[in-house]
Amino acid sequence: MFYRRAGIRHTRYQDERQIWPLPFDRRLALLIFLLAIFAPLLIDRLYLVSYLLPWVIWSTAALGLNFLMGGAGQIHLGYGAVIAIGAYASVHMVRAGLPFELAMIGGGLLSAAVGMIFGATALRVKGLYLAMATLAMQYIVDFVIIQFPAISGGTQATLQVPRVSFLGVEVTGDLAPYYVALLICLLVTLFMLNLRRSSFGRALAAVREKDYAAAVIGVNTFRYKLLAFWVSSFIGGVVGSVLAVCYYRAISPDQFHLDLSIQLVAMVIVGGLGSVLGSFFGAALILFAPILLNQFFGFAASELGMTISTDLRSHVPLMLYGAMIVGFLLWEPLGLAKIYANLRNYFLVWPFRHARQ
Amino acid sequence: MSERPTRTSWDKQEALARPVGLSKGGREAPVLVCADIERRFGGLRALKGVSLSVEKGEIFGLVGPNGSGKTTMVNVMTGFYPPSSGTVTLFGQDVSGIAPHRIASLGVARTFQNLALFKGMSVLDNIMLGRHTAMRPSALGTFFYWWWSQREELAHRRVVEETIEFMQLEDIRNEPVEVIPIGLQKRVELARALVAEPRFLILDEPMAGMNQEEKEYIARFILDAREERNTTILIIEHHMDVVTAICDRVVVLSYGEIIAEGEPRAAIADPAVVKAYIGERAARRQAGAAA
Repeated sequence: MFYRRAGIRHTRYQDERQIWPLPFDRRLALLIFLLAIFAPLLIDRLYLVSYLLPWVIWSTAALGLNFLMGGAGQIHLGYGAVIAIGAYASVHMVRAGLPFELAMIGGGLLSAAVGMIFGATALRVKGLYLAMATLAMQYIVDFVIIQFPAISGGTQATLQVPRVSFLGVEVTGDLAPYYVALLICLLVTLFMLNLRRSSFGRALAAVREKDYAAAVIGVNTFRYKLLAFWVSSFIGGVVGSVLAVCYYRAISPDQFHLDLSIQLVAMVIVGGLGSVLGSFFGAALILFAPILLNQFFGFAASELGMTISTDLRSHVPLMLYGAMIVGFLLWEPLGLAKIYANLRNYFLVWPFRHARQ
Repeated sequence: MSERPTRTSWDKQEALARPVGLSKGGREAPVLVCADIERRFGGLRALKGVSLSVEKGEIFGLVGPNGSGKTTMVNVMTGFYPPSSGTVTLFGQDVSGIAPHRIASLGVARTFQNLALFKGMSVLDNIMLGRHTAMRPSALGTFFYWWWSQREELAHRRVVEETIEFMQLEDIRNEPVEVIPIGLQKRVELARALVAEPRFLILDEPMAGMNQEEKEYIARFILDAREERNTTILIIEHHMDVVTAICDRVVVLSYGEIIAEGEPRAAIADPAVVKAYIGERAARRQAGAAA
């Protein structure tokens, strides 16, 4: 009903292959886009900087990881390291006087190069073994960053990001960083949306599902696995530079540890493997659930007069959050995106349920 | 499609090929020549020096009891198992030990005994993947979809729709491939192979587990593929009625060796074949009953 599926007949392949074939979905996407554009007018600056901005950035990162995990079926437990390489590389380039636009691409390229070297193990190992290989990447990159003062600026040191401008606009204050992050997010989102309807995306999906069957229709599985790591790491590197310049503004090695990689994997899984929308949902849940739970317990303690020790208050949200991830893996392995898809399917033809399609 | 192989060394191939009795394009160079193929898995000799050739335009049957090495033979032809010794020549080009995706780009398509469709994708996307070798996929092409990829995508969609119509899959094209019945899945896999416009099509038990009606459908599609698209076809099949009805020529394998070959009815009636299928004593009894 809401989606007004009835009576829509596409007569050209082009129309059928649109990103959103239904007008309702197109309008919904446009509405969300406009909300994102005008968000600074609609919400408080504090919320913009401390909630919306990180959500946009982490969603972009989740998209990059989802490309690899959902699109090409290769697990990556070191995506935080990929982001770290991009962040450090671009900050050093910016400090050396390179324009931010170039530093962003440079960070992406360096991440892509390093990521592909570790990704090359994917040509030999799968599943759990690939997880271990990428985990090794996380530790090696962490180690290198910490041990080389030339990169980290010394142990326990933070690296300040100088003032930069992006396409002629100085990235300072609250607004400019948000719009830079939003632009990058938009570009990555468009790429991911097109992936599903392009031959490149189909070839990756073929490698993901059955590599021998992919080979028999002429897909060079070797090449596509490497490409998947390359593209995903490139996106990770670009996100790293955006993260450093627009959000952190000063980077230190502890921002990119294993927790980050695990959180990103959780975003992808909770959100929905292979789903663009899911990456946004997943990022939102992983970012905001601990905050909301914390506030809920704070509210329970102060308003409802429950005696909750501070120890418990700080740990219960984390426990619930862990339970939530386990719950998703058990009951809805395709994540929040699948829940939305089920709802959408239900309302597509509601109340005429017999009229599927 | 990739470049066609140059017409060289046909004579050598002719010499390698065994003289064949019945074949339409007997004077043209064979599509496939396997010379003295041996394949070992550890101590097991799955193929013990098999030689065969497939002529252009024929429907060639590969039959034999379970475990006789038919699928191994096909895996050798398509590059999954490089032969331990012997050579595979496709379209006059030595392809022994070449990777499967490169053999595919020469114009060889195949289906699998146990379906090899891509789950989580629609029937349409599965068949579109059959056009992979004809398309130019790239990450940038995906990013600049509207300018770089859309036209190519739509052009190939037209080709795919022709095959969808040919295989009568119109009403399920948007279904996820894992929800449709097995018989249809087999048909989708055949469509994916056909849409690549292969010069040589290998079908590994396309009718396994089908009822009579579905078998007849597939047999019709196979014959049509030959008539309309001029495809050379190699088929592994256990249904002897189908083999005798549509194959021009068969080779019977048993324990990795050729035990009979030639015109289907004659080859299948060969005493060695009867013996391989139903055992020596039963074969003798049957021969006695016939006499």
